[in-house]
Amino acid sequence: MIARLVLNGRPREVEVRTNQTLLELLRDTLGIFDVKEGCDEGVCGVCTVLLDGRPVSSCLVLAAALRGRAVVTLRGLERNGGLHPLQEAFVRHGAVQCGFCTPGMLLTTLAFLEREPRPDREAIRAALEGNLCRCTGYTKIVDAVEAYVRGELGHD
Amino acid sequence: MHPFEYAAPETLDQALGLLGEHGDEAKVLAGGQSLIPILHYRLARPRVVIDINGLLLGDIVVENGRLGVGALVRYHQLEESDVIARRCPVLGEAARLIGNVRVRTLGTVGGSLAHADPAAELPAVMTALDARLAVASPSGRRTVAAREFFTGPLTTMLTADEIVTGVEMDAVSSYGWAVEELSRRAGDFAVVAVVALVSLDRRGRVDDARVAFGGVADRPVWARAVEDALRGREPTADALAHAAQTARDALEPPSDAFVSGAYRCHVAGVLCRRALARAVARALGRT
Amino acid sequence: MTDAVATRDALRVVGQPVVRHDARDKVVAATAYAADWALPGMLHAAVLRSPYPSARIVRLETKRATAMAGVAVVLTAKDVPRNTLATDVPGQTTAVGPLRATLHVLAEDRVRHQGEPVALVAAETLELARDAVEAIEVEYEVTPGVFTPEAALAPGAPPVHGTGNLLAQWRIARGDVAKALAGANVVVEGEYTTQLVDAAYLEPESGVAWIDSDGVITIRLSTQVIEHFRDVAEVLQVPQNRVRVIGTYLGGGFGGKEDVTVEAYLGLLTLKTGRPVKMVWTRQESLLSRAKRHPYRLRYRTGANAHGEIVAQQIELLADAGAYAYLSALVLLYSTVTAAGPYRVPAVEVDARVAYTNNTPTSAMRGFGAMQTVFAYESQLDRVARALGMDPVAVRRVNALRRGDTLPVGQVIETHVAIPELCERAWAALGPPTASRAPHIKVGRGLACNFQPYGRIVWLHDWASAWVGFEMDGSLVVRCGCPDVGGGQASSLCQIAAEVLGVTLTRISVHVSDSALTPLAGTTTASRQLYMSGNAVLKTARELRAGLLRVAAAMLGGDADDLDMDEDRVVTRDGRTLAIAGLLAECARVGVPRSHLGVYHAPAGEPVDLATGSGKVFPDYTFGAHAAEVEVDTETGVVRVLGYAAAHDVGRAINPQSVEGQIQGGAVQGLGYGLMEEVVVENGINLTTSFATYLIPTAADVPDVRAVVVESGEGLGPFNARGIGEPPIGPPAAAIANAIEDATGARITRLPITAERVARALGLLD
Repeated sequence: MIARLVLNGRPREVEVRTNQTLLELLRDTLGIFDVKEGCDEGVCGVCTVLLDGRPVSSCLVLAAALRGRAVVTLRGLERNGGLHPLQEAFVRHGAVQCGFCTPGMLLTTLAFLEREPRPDREAIRAALEGNLCRCTGYTKIVDAVEAYVRGELGHD
Repeated sequence: MHPFEYAAPETLDQALGLLGEHGDEAKVLAGGQSLIPILHYRLARPRVVIDINGLLLGDIVVENGRLGVGALVRYHQLEESDVIARRCPVLGEAARLIGNVRVRTLGTVGGSLAHADPAAELPAVMTALDARLAVASPSGRRTVAAREFFTGPLTTMLTADEIVTGVEMDAVSSYGWAVEELSRRAGDFAVVAVVALVSLDRRGRVDDARVAFGGVADRPVWARAVEDALRGREPTADALAHAAQTARDALEPPSDAFVSGAYRCHVAGVLCRRALARAVARALGRT
Repeated sequence: MTDAVATRDALRVVGQPVVRHDARDKVVAATAYAADWALPGMLHAAVLRSPYPSARIVRLETKRATAMAGVAVVLTAKDVPRNTLATDVPGQTTAVGPLRATLHVLAEDRVRHQGEPVALVAAETLELARDAVEAIEVEYEVTPGVFTPEAALAPGAPPVHGTGNLLAQWRIARGDVAKALAGANVVVEGEYTTQLVDAAYLEPESGVAWIDSDGVITIRLSTQVIEHFRDVAEVLQVPQNRVRVIGTYLGGGFGGKEDVTVEAYLGLLTLKTGRPVKMVWTRQESLLSRAKRHPYRLRYRTGANAHGEIVAQQIELLADAGAYAYLSALVLLYSTVTAAGPYRVPAVEVDARVAYTNNTPTSAMRGFGAMQTVFAYESQLDRVARALGMDPVAVRRVNALRRGDTLPVGQVIETHVAIPELCERAWAALGPPTASRAPHIKVGRGLACNFQPYGRIVWLHDWASAWVGFEMDGSLVVRCGCPDVGGGQASSLCQIAAEVLGVTLTRISVHVSDSALTPLAGTTTASRQLYMSGNAVLKTARELRAGLLRVAAAMLGGDADDLDMDEDRVVTRDGRTLAIAGLLAECARVGVPRSHLGVYHAPAGEPVDLATGSGKVFPDYTFGAHAAEVEVDTETGVVRVLGYAAAHDVGRAINPQSVEGQIQGGAVQGLGYGLMEEVVVENGINLTTSFATYLIPTAADVPDVRAVVVESGEGLGPFNARGIGEPPIGPPAAAIANAIEDATGARITRLPITAERVARALGLLD
């Protein structure tokens, strides 16, 4: 059947199986590897996408059920071919080690900051509670988000 | 997951018709946060998945002192709704504790109640509130008291051709409220959860109390004895401790591979006392 | 190779917190991990695994599965050309005595643990492969199993393998322990229990294999060891030069990707079908069956005199190898050597054993046996201090090893040991004590030290090679077989090359981790990669530089020793410059190589009989001290970590930001181990095969980790660096346990320290 979605700003119609998840649609059908597969049960966060601006586990969304909604993955953040300031902050502050959690962390952070633009470190940690990281121990991720919030890289 | 037929009915009647046709060979898809993992693990093999997200069951309405929450209201809406913050804030406090942010984007009230995880927050909240669930089937509509709805682990009174369409409760704006929870890790599901609501009369005595536990049995536990122990009493620290003890004495929580029943019991008592204390403080206008 | 210690000012790139090239790629998801790979005609693979921990396979019928539409092949043991996988010391071409271990690729007539692989399927889609797995008919006859090392070693226990269940034993005896304990002012006896845990990398085991146009079986996967191409060749009975392993940037390794995981299956399936094959394990599969960290029972009797000096340690260790040996004997050796901690101990006995059981196999994991012992020796030392009224820093200052002291195994410590300074700095980094926020909340602080070997055991004659070469335009290529697990391994090599050859960092491209195309550098394990590959690149770059500067000297006049390379030029003392491209053109003209292949050999030693002999085991150690502040809810037992500081002497920080990141990440993994992680296996059945039940720390569970980086300049790695990959994971569990005792008086001796365990220790459930 046909899945309808607006993917990173572009309307798409894609042939899918009924039992195909959004994660599988992105990776297997469209070759978009911005989303990773980590646990298949919505716990780890590496498959995070924004659905109408809110984070969801793409491994738990049926592609067929999208009904034309807006899906944003990491490449939806691209700015004139360069890095989004939050991405730059992650790079500068050592918030990326193996990188597997990074796309999910970035999207979740941006969605959170839309709702709470000036969080303290504790609020940042609470916001990222659902995105597991096994490499960094989180401190530098919080450093990066804090730096971005403080406008150290000139975001709008 | 195994292949299935996918149906996306546009009206409740269409959805009920499909349920009537397929019965226990169908699964209802609302938020998907519980259903999709079950399908991934191949623990269920429905012939049909009925996606009800197109139905108009997402309203939050207050009428005649009763708050109605549609089955498709998402957890994040409970957190963010002004109506709920004013009329039944315990729902927002409970919702904040559910899962992670992604679960709260899509997970639904109806889904939580139908799934009936014994450790889940919303079944416990609805039990405390003495809410009534609205249930629809091809043959008609009925309401079921939350306190009777949950019949065992992941088991409810729903028959194979029924869905929850909403839930209704008193808009308990004059009550103080609290949800206390202990989990093995931040954001994890509850080992023990306590929901407490307390209203005080003019003399500062407990007029009404509504208390329920999650995670201490195979279904939410309505702590009726606690409520009875508090009504009419002055909510002193001793009275609350006594009430909590009453709760603890009545519980026989199970043990599992991670947590013993004895520990659950002990924690239930501690959290009950704390939840009551916070609820009383809120009722007094102090937070 | 140690360098004369250069001062910080004299280094230009090394020592700078440079941005890693892979970080830029990862932040836009440009990095192709092992599962981010598809080829035309690719099949998908799935594994049939035993549901039973101990059983005979009575019947195995694959006809139904093979006949299913879309199924390309179903394989069992009889289809494997050589159904034996060597699982001992990876990357080495010499077998080392009792450390030799093997297992079957696919089970033959017996299964010995739940999750043991029995059959393989390749099909057009993953769903079809899983359907086919379900259609394979297996009849098992359950046989008695053993599920604890104690039960396994009891007389009459069912043997897991043909022999007895004692897999390996190491002993150390030095001095008269009984006499010393008898004369001690205080003797503390303790039994400690550590649990089974999983590496829990976010990227599951994954890979794609195909046969390339030269007929080479190519396996592109997430691995810490590309040398497993040899093991795959053995299994497939093809020449070793017909198998190529391409290691991708890993989404985490932590030792869990040190053994062969998907390689042998992928090799088999691609060979049998002639088509590309992809295998990605589910999280459940990984949690169920991937080898884990050894659980230990640790029994210590520690004697000290009135000054708090340890006079004796009597230590007994018992570990669970699970159903297959893997690296258990080696892990146990690490535990034996480190069992007494980074302290002077005049009299010491260590009796260490590891036993087979029908539990999940255990193998390499960050810390590798030197982690479990920290929980015991630091808890013991803390209790000694308490008994004598000494503070935690003082007792460690008094006992810390010093240059010239001897380890229990007879190895002389040849470097400065920064333990006292690390303790003081970690403790101070906690800042002013936090006041308790409520009467039922108690706040406490704890300290724990450790030492972790880095670099391979010297008897293994470790080596690593690297290739460094200039392109004609002055850009540089580094090739090294070093897998990058996410800790900046590849990036560090670029920094080192940039330092030596004066090339701008952005003009260096690095190729790592390809067994056919990059010089082999050994495993990314044992905190050895910076030491080994780093030294290999350092040596290679220096040798290249020497050759180039001879040509430059001829061009510029004067002595090669008076020339420097900086900012993509050669520079003379009197300020004349020569652009690198010009030098390279001249090299081409006179036939001097613009590239070099170098090998670094670690200082080697001969095997030491731990029981009777004495000598060097590991090249060096990294010392550390962590301090934790916790609050304990004395009504529920819930523990929250309020503050945490981790101090390590890293020799020199090649990239300070990477070093801090390793320290912080390792410390948080250690906090997970201390507070919440446990794979629960009951009677051989795994009850935690989900991230919903196997809990690792989230951002909300841990505080900021203050990384304190001390640089003594005395490491054996490039520019005197020490390995830092594993050391930070050791101390946290003990630091937390010590802090809890400080707060409440309750001593927890079993991991993980759950709220319930604390509640019991506080008597709340009596």
